[in-house]
Amino acid sequence: MAPLPLPPKRIAQHRRRASLAPYLWILPAILVYGIFKLVPLISGIYMALLRWDGIAEPRFIGLRNFEKILNDKPTLMVLGNNVEYAVITVVGKIALSLFLAIMLNQALRGRTFYRTSLFMPVVMSFVVIGILWRWLFNTEFGLLNNLFEGVGLGFLAQDWLGDTNIALKSLTVVDIWKWYGFHMVIFLAGLQGIPNELYEAAKIDGASVWQQFRHITLPMLQPVMIVNVTLSLMGAFNVFDIPYVMTEGGPANSTNVMALHIYLRGFKFYRFGFSAALSYVLLTIVTLVAAVQLWLMTRADNTEQ
Amino acid sequence: MMQDSEALDLKSRIEGIYWRPYLVKLFNHTTLMLFTLIIIYPVVWMVLASFKTSGEFVNNVWGVPSVLDIDNYHRAWELANLGRALINSLIISLGTVALVVVLASIAGYAFAKFRFRFSAIILLVLIFTMQAPTPVIPFYVLFVRLDLTDSYIGLILGIASGSLPLSIFIFQAFFRSIPNELREAAKIDGCSEFSAFMRVVMPISGPAVATVAILTFVGAWNEYFLPLLLVRSPEIRPLTLAVQVFFFQYGRVEWTDVFAALSIASIPMIVVYVLMQRWFIQGLTSGSIKG
Repeated sequence: MAPLPLPPKRIAQHRRRASLAPYLWILPAILVYGIFKLVPLISGIYMALLRWDGIAEPRFIGLRNFEKILNDKPTLMVLGNNVEYAVITVVGKIALSLFLAIMLNQALRGRTFYRTSLFMPVVMSFVVIGILWRWLFNTEFGLLNNLFEGVGLGFLAQDWLGDTNIALKSLTVVDIWKWYGFHMVIFLAGLQGIPNELYEAAKIDGASVWQQFRHITLPMLQPVMIVNVTLSLMGAFNVFDIPYVMTEGGPANSTNVMALHIYLRGFKFYRFGFSAALSYVLLTIVTLVAAVQLWLMTRADNTEQ
Repeated sequence: MMQDSEALDLKSRIEGIYWRPYLVKLFNHTTLMLFTLIIIYPVVWMVLASFKTSGEFVNNVWGVPSVLDIDNYHRAWELANLGRALINSLIISLGTVALVVVLASIAGYAFAKFRFRFSAIILLVLIFTMQAPTPVIPFYVLFVRLDLTDSYIGLILGIASGSLPLSIFIFQAFFRSIPNELREAAKIDGCSEFSAFMRVVMPISGPAVATVAILTFVGAWNEYFLPLLLVRSPEIRPLTLAVQVFFFQYGRVEWTDVFAALSIASIPMIVVYVLMQRWFIQGLTSGSIKG
């Protein structure tokens, strides 16, 4: 049935309403997002150009904060820490979760039990996890050192959070602990999307288990691999809760990372301008990571088609 | 002699093929069990420790407490004002969920069903900025200027703004899958566009609402940075800040009290999670897995 013709006046009204209405629908959400996310993102650019302690009159100093960042030893150390933290957590999370996902993917009894248990830390707060692990890492009474001494490996006992060479690595353990079940679930979803015929064909051709993994599993997992790597990379460069709760960046700045550095420069040392400038350094790093992800994903999509 | 060893060889090979699946299974289960224990044991240990007397806590590190000592819970409850903190966390989390579900569903519907100028650009801006870490200083200054520090509303708006983009995308994807005929039929029956959305579309959108609600609730419940930045008064303090009170007190830290507080802060969520694990896992990974 053809639509009834409307009188001209009604058409004009109809059009105008149709053209304005969608904006009213999205307005509330865009307003909240715009004010609390986009405004700080933009207004901070100006604050990064100030010398300002948050109380006295701010002074405009141009790009001086950024110049200082380039020569600031603590900041460079923090950047180094953050890169190290990212490499360890990403490699640790990906390797462990992929390994577990492949095992869980072999039709097993108790799959729901394993999945539910391994995913559990995702619903726990990093504050709870951080305080709990602070105790597990305790030199004298902590479970970790107790365990090593109990099984006769006392020489492995460490001052996990107090030794500048180890503390950062100890924090990565906690981060990996919280997230490996999460990444495993995502890998598992990817594995279940691989058609079984591929493996059967490969077996007929005499491919070994390793060859099947290398030439079927890994390529087919590329999309979820990109997602997992990006999520964990983003997480690593945004990490704040773990180092703040567990070590406050110490000892001797050895566990200080960008987000924490930004917070401490702002609210412990009251260098608001410098802290704002640091935020944009972090923003640049995260944007680069996101851009690489986008590029990889579009490339993967194109080769698929 | 030759034949014997060949026969033996064949026998062991046959047995090898016969046993191999079981060995693989055994290996799989052992490994999975080990990594499951690594997750579960610390949490179980935390709950056990929360019932131990401070003497037993040091002397009986691994085991089950000989008597259930509830005093830890009494002390922790009083000292950290956990009752208040629980209520605060509930207000903040439920408020954030309500705000995000309402705003994101309406916006997601518009992006899914209406064609309008700039919609693609707006979505692109959302995608590009949602992952960007918000600069802390201007964020804090904004809250001070708007007089939104130390307030539920401020925390709710702050947390909601972070989870809006992903929630909009989840709703948009869901609404795209709903046939247009449904909405057309409702409009023919005299519904306005909005009442068609409210009366016809939303009632069948339970899965999307559940996904967004779980994702937002868990995030808000566990949020630490925003309260740390914006909350000074103990009246507003959520659980994530309250459990740290023990370390700012004068004198020795009673770790058994700390574990009692940590248990109160995390066990209810874990119980709900275990009961609804399918929904939780689906919701919490929905940003990462398509469909």
